[in-house]
Amino acid sequence: MQFIRQRENVMIGQTLSKFRRATSLALACGLTAGVVAMTGGATVSAAPSTIVIGNFNPFSGADASFGPEMVAGCQPAVRLINNGGGVLGHKFSCVEFDTRGDPADAVPAANKMIATNSSLGGILGPSADEALATVPILDQAKVPMFVDTGQAFFDKSSYKYFWRITPADDVKGYALALWAKKAGYTRAAAIFGNDAGSQSDVPTLLKAWKKLGGKMVDNVKLALDQSSYRTEIEQMLATKPQVIFTEIDPQTAGTFLSELQQLKGLIPVLGTEITLQSPWLKAVTGAIGKSAMTKYVTGMQPYAPTAGASWTTFDKALLASKSQVPQPSQWASDPYTMTYYDGVTIMALAMLSAKSTDRGTYNKSIMAVTEPGAGKTVVTSFAQGKAALAKGERIQYVGAGGPIAFNKSHNSSGAFEAAVQANGNVKIVGEVTANQIAALTK
Amino acid sequence: MNLYVLSLGFGLITASILAIASVGFTLQFGVTNILNLAYGDVMTGCAFVAYLVTRSGGSLPEALLAGAGTGALASYGLNRFVYTPFVKRGTRMFGMIIVTISVSLALQNGLQAAFKATFFSLALPRPSSYTFLGMIFTSQQLVIIGLAVVAMLFVHALLSWTKLGRAMRATAADPELARSCGIATDRVIDAAWLLSGALCGTAGVALALNVTSFTSTAGGQFLIPIIAAAVLGGVGHPYGAMIGAVVIGISAELSAAVISPSYKEVIAFLILIVVLLIRPQGIFAEVATQKEVVA
Repeated sequence: MQFIRQRENVMIGQTLSKFRRATSLALACGLTAGVVAMTGGATVSAAPSTIVIGNFNPFSGADASFGPEMVAGCQPAVRLINNGGGVLGHKFSCVEFDTRGDPADAVPAANKMIATNSSLGGILGPSADEALATVPILDQAKVPMFVDTGQAFFDKSSYKYFWRITPADDVKGYALALWAKKAGYTRAAAIFGNDAGSQSDVPTLLKAWKKLGGKMVDNVKLALDQSSYRTEIEQMLATKPQVIFTEIDPQTAGTFLSELQQLKGLIPVLGTEITLQSPWLKAVTGAIGKSAMTKYVTGMQPYAPTAGASWTTFDKALLASKSQVPQPSQWASDPYTMTYYDGVTIMALAMLSAKSTDRGTYNKSIMAVTEPGAGKTVVTSFAQGKAALAKGERIQYVGAGGPIAFNKSHNSSGAFEAAVQANGNVKIVGEVTANQIAALTK
Repeated sequence: MNLYVLSLGFGLITASILAIASVGFTLQFGVTNILNLAYGDVMTGCAFVAYLVTRSGGSLPEALLAGAGTGALASYGLNRFVYTPFVKRGTRMFGMIIVTISVSLALQNGLQAAFKATFFSLALPRPSSYTFLGMIFTSQQLVIIGLAVVAMLFVHALLSWTKLGRAMRATAADPELARSCGIATDRVIDAAWLLSGALCGTAGVALALNVTSFTSTAGGQFLIPIIAAAVLGGVGHPYGAMIGAVVIGISAELSAAVISPSYKEVIAFLILIVVLLIRPQGIFAEVATQKEVVA
């Protein structure tokens, strides 16, 4: 399962040679200038041609698994768009652009993509690996992008062409606090890894928990992968928490929770989606046992319904795309694959709404086809949306990943679901709605 | 009970694993003058052997024996077939360090390829817990502490009262002179690798027991504290490594209690730096000075 990647694990500058940096900068400057001169910013050819949806993500390198997950969302969306007659006479196609998960490679890749694809309609990505380096370039070139980075840096984004329908990393803090409140806890301990990714959840968790009337009795930054955490556990237990909020890596979690179990017995643990990922499950189940895992550990993950009209349409199209997507069923419940599918569908509907494939023009219609409103027709597929728009109706697209509600910064956090591990399966036990999160963030 | 007192007790478990590992590490360095940076990965390999033994229904003592045996054979083999050819060609210490790093990476990646990048736990029954002076220990942790005590006593007895131990000390002090005095230094070196490997394997299984979930990188991550304990005690000196392990293990736990868990490693290594500033050769000086590991 590839629910959440270490999207915050941006490694800018870690391994770049000076030569590569210099080359990247030269290419960036030269190609960006060329792009602006050639395209005047954003126009897609008026003659019927195939509109390219760039799959701008790592397809090689350490995060090579990201790319296929993206293609698995793009291909079924394009299939449905093309089967539905395309957009204003244009067919769509998914084209891969490999960022290699490295800004040094991603910057020239972005510039090359923009410069050499006059029919580029928009993109999926970039990921956290390359977003900080490439979002400004893409925004300047007026390329609508449905990013899959969770970086909190983009929470207050002013980039016009930036759209995010995957939850930002720090939104998890709100979801954790809301679920703990719902479960009736009032005293909690925050046990998070001392890495930047885990710590990005903590400020919003503290803020939300306080706002909900809870008391954070302990807040610990754990040094990762130590051979023992007994002292930290004793300190935590002295504060008498009812629940532990956590995001720590699997090995640390295994050691920490097994020692907690040995010392005084487990207490409920409420973790982020990493808690439901297979490496975490394997490490912690091995350490504390299956029954303790089911009884004490709950994870919060982005809401990814595997039911409903929109998901059913997505699922059918996904399974029909097996010539482009190997083993398509593996992506059927992947929330990221669903949001990539939604991203392409939204771009197509926005083009229809704006009656233009010009990127700068249709970008302004993205909100119009997603936000709710009185008198709007709710649509759950491209075909429904196209038909409604053709009748002159205003639409609200509800995606495979659920309803979309962009804020001023073009972020749509969505809902979260609480799940436990039961007999080798993830069992959903409840939900925190997007509205509850939105109310807490105000 | 007071948290600081509890921390002392908790530190003993980490110190015990560190002691077993760092004594093996430093003993081998003292006799052979090879800084074996693949040591942590041999530990991991032994943990995987223990994993396979327990998965096949083996008990903890069987897993420990298998781990120690594998460590001994692997270390002996590494020396005979990888390191010795380089030593015979006159490869200097820096070159040997590069060779051991290469072996470390090969072992780590080989283990990852063989076992996949996931987590493993020894398949042993859940341990019972015992309260002692307000501190709670599991039966497995008591085994780890007991193993450390036995291993330290064994090493002490070997070095103090046996012919082999005396030969090891003589070889560590001056190999040329030892050879001139009729000591079969090649055999002594073989014995040092076997003994060091057995301690390495035992430490690997103890580490896997203690962390409960381990990966192909677990031993490699533990190498820095092992080296720190060895350096603190005076590289090449087994008794120094024992003291170094206790200082590093307990100071890490105490700093978590007194300051913050975030500073756990920071404080332990600051202590190392301060001690080395005052006494660059470590607590026990002679071997480190002879090996020219200090100016």
